[in-house]
Amino acid sequence: MNSLLTNAVAGLTAGGAYALLGVCATFTFRLVAVVNFAGAAIGASGAFAFALLVEVGTPIWGGAIAGLLFGALVGVLVGEIMTRWFAEASTSIKAAVSTALLVGVTAVGLRVTGGQRPHEFPELLSGSAFRLLGVEVTNTAIAMLGLAMLFTLLIGLFLNRSHVGLQLRALSERPAAAELIGIPVHQLSLWVWAIGGAATTLALMLIAPQRAPNFLGLSLLVVPALASALIGFFRSFWATLLGGVVIGEMESLISGFSGLGAYRTAVPFLVIIAVLLWSQRGGRWDDAR
Amino acid sequence: MLRISDLKVDRAGLPVIREADLVVEPGRISVLLGANGAGKTTLLEGISGIAPVTGGRIKLGTEAIETNRPTERARKGLAHVEQGRTVFRTLTTEENLRVVGNGVDFARSYALFPELEKRRQVRAGLLSGGEQQMLVIARALLARPKVIMIDEMSAGLAPIIVGRLMNAVRALADSGLSILLVEQFAALALEIGDRAYVLRKGQIVYDGACRPLIENPDLLHRLYLGGGAHA
Repeated sequence: MNSLLTNAVAGLTAGGAYALLGVCATFTFRLVAVVNFAGAAIGASGAFAFALLVEVGTPIWGGAIAGLLFGALVGVLVGEIMTRWFAEASTSIKAAVSTALLVGVTAVGLRVTGGQRPHEFPELLSGSAFRLLGVEVTNTAIAMLGLAMLFTLLIGLFLNRSHVGLQLRALSERPAAAELIGIPVHQLSLWVWAIGGAATTLALMLIAPQRAPNFLGLSLLVVPALASALIGFFRSFWATLLGGVVIGEMESLISGFSGLGAYRTAVPFLVIIAVLLWSQRGGRWDDAR
Repeated sequence: MLRISDLKVDRAGLPVIREADLVVEPGRISVLLGANGAGKTTLLEGISGIAPVTGGRIKLGTEAIETNRPTERARKGLAHVEQGRTVFRTLTTEENLRVVGNGVDFARSYALFPELEKRRQVRAGLLSGGEQQMLVIARALLARPKVIMIDEMSAGLAPIIVGRLMNAVRALADSGLSILLVEQFAALALEIGDRAYVLRKGQIVYDGACRPLIENPDLLHRLYLGGGAHA
């Protein structure tokens, strides 16, 4: 029982990270209509900028801020490619381009960071927040969950209560019509990419110390991120948040069972298949009739 | 005033508009007619910046705008109401208007189209076709344009609604706005228009008064199908 609780608490950090990454994926899809396979690779760029800066003696919080800015910058560069050349392309073409960008950013990242050589990722928040039934709940787990919830809350408020949020909602629906009424579509799209890049970087900076800290490993966290976003059907931020936490928890709980632990990384894949099957149920019902 | 000269516009890399000349004067309605595929929509998209202009000039007042992005052209006073009633469907009527700018005054919009005020909290996707058309015109007007281009305003609407919209467009021109109206229903547009252009295969083949086209439908048919008549 206690080992289950230990695994459940350990899953909070991963769940919070998946939730934040998933919310970023939903944010990007809803506002600029891109299924962003390169999202985690963008965040990995920022996270590794942070690690490399700290390795050469930069103070930890200075390195963190520089990492966030670098993640935002890489996000803007990717966004510039998407908005300048593929703004009018179909969703599937944009998804293909973002997959190509995942490969490109990961290749460059692996080259710059020394292949799969592990780096020492400093912990932004170390230590224990409190004990729950004898199990330590870490500051990182609390911060990760809190950040995911705060980001989700702020996005909702921003989109529904601010004028720029209203313009972004209009842009996401009809970019050409938005441009024709004077909305600065290009600049707003780049802001979406910058915010997504910075938020993804933050999630990866927090979770990296608990993962195999190489560029490829962090970039592939896009899989649980997109599985979370799929639970919210790329529309609901709160369902995505919940989906991320559930996937993180499932992974962690499964790892507690001998024989099943090796398959924990298959959880996002199973979730993706399950959600896609569920989403097709209407069509199957119609066919059956 | 909007003046275009020797304008060339491409679509998918192919030349669609070839050396078009056109003027839209303040307080006047210029009607642009042509058969399906003549290039009317492409011409408007070239003027507003959606489609790439490969040659020629577009002047809004005294300023050349052909190299500006669509957003800049809109800010300089060029409004383009696209065909297909391009409302933001998930936003309410009021949000569709408010998106143009913080603190915009909806009074003029609601005065022109009182129907919209009653439906201001309804999602635009749930409005009738006529209401959606009113909304996109009202939204374009909130940016206080000098010139407004309206593409296929009457498509798919009941005759009574079309009449209502035509009257509103005439009233806008009478208030000093320059209007370029693209219409499939030539007779209706010519009734409210001041000047007519006919486009065939990407070239202007008629530039003159509306009256001759109203009085001589055969001339219009010939212009659509072949044979020119520059006034």
